[in-house]
Amino acid sequence: MSSILTYIAIADGKIKRSSLEVLSHCKDLANTNGLRCEAVIIDEHASSFTSEVSNYGASKIYTISEEIFSRHQNGSLIRALSTVIDASSPKVIAFASTESTKDILGALAANLNAGVVADVSSFSIDGDKVVAQRPMMAAKIMGNVDVSGNTIVVSVRSGSYDLKVNPTESEIMELSSGIAENDLRSTLREIITATGETIDLNEAEAIVAAGRGVKDEEAKQLITELATALNAGVGASRALTEAGIYDPSLQIGQTGKVVSPQLYIAVGISGAIQHVAGMANSKVIVAINKDADAPIFEVADYGIVGDLYKILPPFIQEIKNIKQ
Amino acid sequence: MKFLVSIKMVPDVYAPFQIKEGELLMDGDRMVLNAYDASAVEEALVLTEKYGGDVEVVCVGPTKASETIRKALAMGAAKGHHIHIGGDEHFDSTSYAHILATFCKDKDFDILSFGKQSQDMDSGLTGGMVAQLLEIPFATNAVGLEIENEHLIVKRQGDTGQEMIELPTPCLVTCSNDMNEPRIPNLKGIMASKRKPIESLNLSDLSLDSDTLIPATQITSYEPVPSRKAGQKFEGEPEEIAVQVAQLLDTEANVF
Amino acid sequence: MEDKFDCIVIGGGVAGLAASMVLARNNMKFLLIERGEFAGAKNVSGGVLWGSDLHQLVPNYWEDEDSGWERYINHRRLTFMDQQSTFSLDFKSSHFNETPYSGVVVLRSKFDNWLSGKVQEAIDASDYAMDSFIATNIKVDEVMMVNGKAVGIKTGEDEFYADSVIIAEGVNNLLTRQVGLQDQYVPADHMLTGIKEIIRFDQKVLEDRFQLDGLSGMSNEFVGWATDGVEGGGFLYTNRDTISLGLVLGIKDLRSKKRSPHDLLNHFKSHPTIASAIKDGEIVEYSAHVVSSGDSRAMPKELYTDGILLAGESANLLMNAGKAIQGMDYAMRSGILAAETIIEAKEKGDYSAATLKSYRRRMDDSYIMKDINNFQDAVHLLHTDTMQNKVPNLVCDFGRQFFTIKNEPTPKSEKMLLGAIKRHASIWELLKLGFKARKSL
Ligand SMILES: Cc1cc2nc3c(=O)[nH]c(=O)nc-3n(C[C@H](O)[C@H](O)[C@H](O)COP(=O)(O)OP(=O)(O)OC[C@H]3O[C@@H](n4cnc5c(N)ncnc54)[C@H](O)[C@@H]3O)c2cc1C
Ligand SMILES: Cc1cc2nc3c(=O)[nH]c(=O)nc-3n(C[C@H](O)[C@H](O)[C@H](O)COP(=O)(O)OP(=O)(O)OC[C@H]3O[C@@H](n4cnc5c(N)ncnc54)[C@H](O)[C@@H]3O)c2cc1C
Ligand SMILES: Nc1ncnc2c1ncn2[C@@H]1O[C@H](COP(=O)(O)O)[C@@H](O)[C@H]1O
Repeated sequence: MSSILTYIAIADGKIKRSSLEVLSHCKDLANTNGLRCEAVIIDEHASSFTSEVSNYGASKIYTISEEIFSRHQNGSLIRALSTVIDASSPKVIAFASTESTKDILGALAANLNAGVVADVSSFSIDGDKVVAQRPMMAAKIMGNVDVSGNTIVVSVRSGSYDLKVNPTESEIMELSSGIAENDLRSTLREIITATGETIDLNEAEAIVAAGRGVKDEEAKQLITELATALNAGVGASRALTEAGIYDPSLQIGQTGKVVSPQLYIAVGISGAIQHVAGMANSKVIVAINKDADAPIFEVADYGIVGDLYKILPPFIQEIKNIKQ
Repeated sequence: MKFLVSIKMVPDVYAPFQIKEGELLMDGDRMVLNAYDASAVEEALVLTEKYGGDVEVVCVGPTKASETIRKALAMGAAKGHHIHIGGDEHFDSTSYAHILATFCKDKDFDILSFGKQSQDMDSGLTGGMVAQLLEIPFATNAVGLEIENEHLIVKRQGDTGQEMIELPTPCLVTCSNDMNEPRIPNLKGIMASKRKPIESLNLSDLSLDSDTLIPATQITSYEPVPSRKAGQKFEGEPEEIAVQVAQLLDTEANVF
Repeated sequence: MEDKFDCIVIGGGVAGLAASMVLARNNMKFLLIERGEFAGAKNVSGGVLWGSDLHQLVPNYWEDEDSGWERYINHRRLTFMDQQSTFSLDFKSSHFNETPYSGVVVLRSKFDNWLSGKVQEAIDASDYAMDSFIATNIKVDEVMMVNGKAVGIKTGEDEFYADSVIIAEGVNNLLTRQVGLQDQYVPADHMLTGIKEIIRFDQKVLEDRFQLDGLSGMSNEFVGWATDGVEGGGFLYTNRDTISLGLVLGIKDLRSKKRSPHDLLNHFKSHPTIASAIKDGEIVEYSAHVVSSGDSRAMPKELYTDGILLAGESANLLMNAGKAIQGMDYAMRSGILAAETIIEAKEKGDYSAATLKSYRRRMDDSYIMKDINNFQDAVHLLHTDTMQNKVPNLVCDFGRQFFTIKNEPTPKSEKMLLGAIKRHASIWELLKLGFKARKSL
């Protein structure tokens, strides 16, 4: 009996929720397809996360706890994963789709000579195929995809599946990657992390996204106030990340992040398809735009036509009133 | 530095499309240079203008793809390589990666540059696959490139921030369109492009054939994305509509 | 100046592409410059391309199903409208099934792109395969004139030289004005604005609803209630699996009546006849664009000057005398004639007005100028209140009585007609109208 192996991503000392979403789904797939549900954690402190992972149904957890994994590096991660894959010999390897995942997915698949499909919004197993659904053409179209291969690698968009707690007695298997720093041909010089404590947009319940309409400090201030009032993450359109007004890691859309919060508030965003591609799956979308014909209103559940400088202050105030 | 930029011809995402019985119908004349690849070409041109070297492009595609190659030549690339395939091939990233890797194997390039993903498929796989097949170091999602003593310095956009990565050559990098604004070819460039060489190859020239390139993925059908229900639009006194919507979010949408 | 061109064609619309095709076929070294990302990118209009000139440019184009055209017209209809009724002159004939077709419906973004592909093929086959170009995504900023003669064009920093320039920039003719062939400021009085929606159906539904078989198609023009009293008319063309539905409206009249094209289109669509025609259709495109009225008062002073020829709507060449809009066929023919003139000029080695004058002659001899001159009265007539409102109401009123069958004695049709006339106009008015019409049509 072979396995379905879920990669558990760790970001600044926390398990990424999206990888637990994937694990929850893989547990179901394992049950229905008679596969072992296994997970792998590769991090400086990998072993400290096993108990949390057991809560989501992994019967076996592989860990590699080595210092070099305190930072992401594709070369080392691919080699570490190969070690685990040899041990687990999985039929399917599932990832939450993050930049780190995107960084290794193609190379890993080529290395394993595996079938691969990226950024699916849902997938299941059908005999020795994986059947997946994924957005295409800037998320204007859904494609149904059959994936074949002895091993199949899948990455899943965050928010595609719900967390399902399923406490399990997991067997823990500690492995070593056998990589020494100097094995790596690429060197990581430095890491420039986004300034300030920012909420992970993939996990945020609410997101306030700013667009070109947010021109000056005053407007930025209003965005921050609104975000604080809602305890929301702040995102941005390309117009602003490009202009250096917001950190590039906050870009939402086809090039940037794909998010699906409960509440998405687009402020001064026109709604270009490449932006919408990244937020169309949000549960409730609010758009604030002074142009009544802006395409963003076509996807907004609540469209407010007006100048953000006039709309936001009373909007924020009312939200504060409601909240307390 | 010698750059080889891998460019793809993709359908114009703005072209009208239609889905009939699971089939995707689009105007086959509306094809463009993948925007991410345009950024890769741009950056290669900027770096070679700065440090010398030259830029060539390779594209796997049907006859029409020569227009896409011309576009890159019009931007300033020196030479194109056109690997011809039939218009009805259903290749995926895996198949393209094998073709491209086979093509690159015996070429001497310092830097292979790819787009981070193709605008139509958004897979983002081909670059990493080629790097693995050629066993050269690589970095993805580059938002900035520099060259320092024969090394490529990549500024890559990670999940939470940016990473500065140093790669020895030969290496491979995949580029984000956040890296630059690709130049729009001017008339002089368009004219010059006509006289630039495009090497034309077939799969057989790479001792490959479409049967041995069976894609791992197969698109069985297309569906329109479930459209969102038409929402309400509020116009009028800013004060009022702002408060009104805030209350609806609480009482109707209950997202607070 | 080794890279000097015989001709630079400005604008890759119907006129510019037609001219380019002829230039390429005749081994001329030329440059076609189109502002849009590709030929057709900026061209929202579209409709029926009348006549058979396309066959001359691309022989047997119909043999290729995907050759940019949608359907051929074998069914024509002119409809008078009042609030509730429509009364149509309807003509369908298998005679129109024969090729070359006498009219094909086209969607410009597709058609122009296809035609420019054909021009490229012609270039590749010519002696100047390496020296003639189609350049898109480039805007011509200025036509360079040296003491009254065109010597080339400017785009951004770049200058390009040529013996001649064909201006085929369309109705928004800034360059035509820049070179002085038209006054800088032309009042919009004799201009129209066209708006149209493309509405999609299941192809089967469309074909059944409009009785189309194979690639046959219908064109339908409307007068009367369609424009709610505003000067103009409506149209409906069948494409492969969509219809083009729209209005062409007098800009001056819109202004004075304070109406918006968009509201009028909805008004038009609310008519029971139209409502049922577009039932269950999905609007996939909306567009608006200025159109010439065909009124010669809006035309440039001349069609040529030293080194320059005007083709297509940049010279406001268009005919709209009620039974159809003819702009694309005028553009195509004038483009062809312009190119032929340039070819002659090259043979003579003289591109001055003296030679280019023969373009004027060619145009005057062509159906274009003949029609424009002969049908001016018709154009004016069409835009009179009588024709716009009274006649349609009258006709529908008569129709309503004529086709109503009550269980009581039916009056003689003549009596019905007289009654209808009295209710909507005066006999005298109609006599005048009939007289005018006889002269003008
Ligand atoms: C391959 C590719 C990938 C891309 N990827 C992404 C991506 O990942 N994410 C992304 O966002 N974009 C992406 N883009 C860019 C995208 O096409 C748009 O250019 C971008 O989203 C525009 O951002 P914007 O809406 O903020 O700016 P604009 O389009 O300029 O819109 C600004 C809006 O603000 C409104 N406004 C201005 N002032 C006010 C005011 N005072 N009050 C209220 N409203 C106001 C205006 O009415 C306007 O609608 C991509 C493009 C390409 C080609
Ligand atoms: C709603 C509507 C319906 C119509 N229906 C019909 C119909 O049924 N039948 C019919 O025959 N006609 C119809 N017409 C009229 C017809 O569309 C025009 O008469 C015809 O397009 C004129 O062709 P043209 O080549 O002269 O100009 P255009 O087709 O307008 O082409 C001009 C081209 O020049 C380019 N250009 C302009 N300036 C520059 C510059 N500075 N540099 C580079 N390129 C430039 C433009 O991008 C454009 O591509 C309709 C028009 C409208 C608006
Ligand atoms: N047919 C192709 N020809 C050349 N390059 C390609 C082709 N397909 C993909 N690529 C390259 O691979 C990148 C990512 O492709 P994808 O894996 O489809 O997202 C593109 O941006 C190109 O640089």
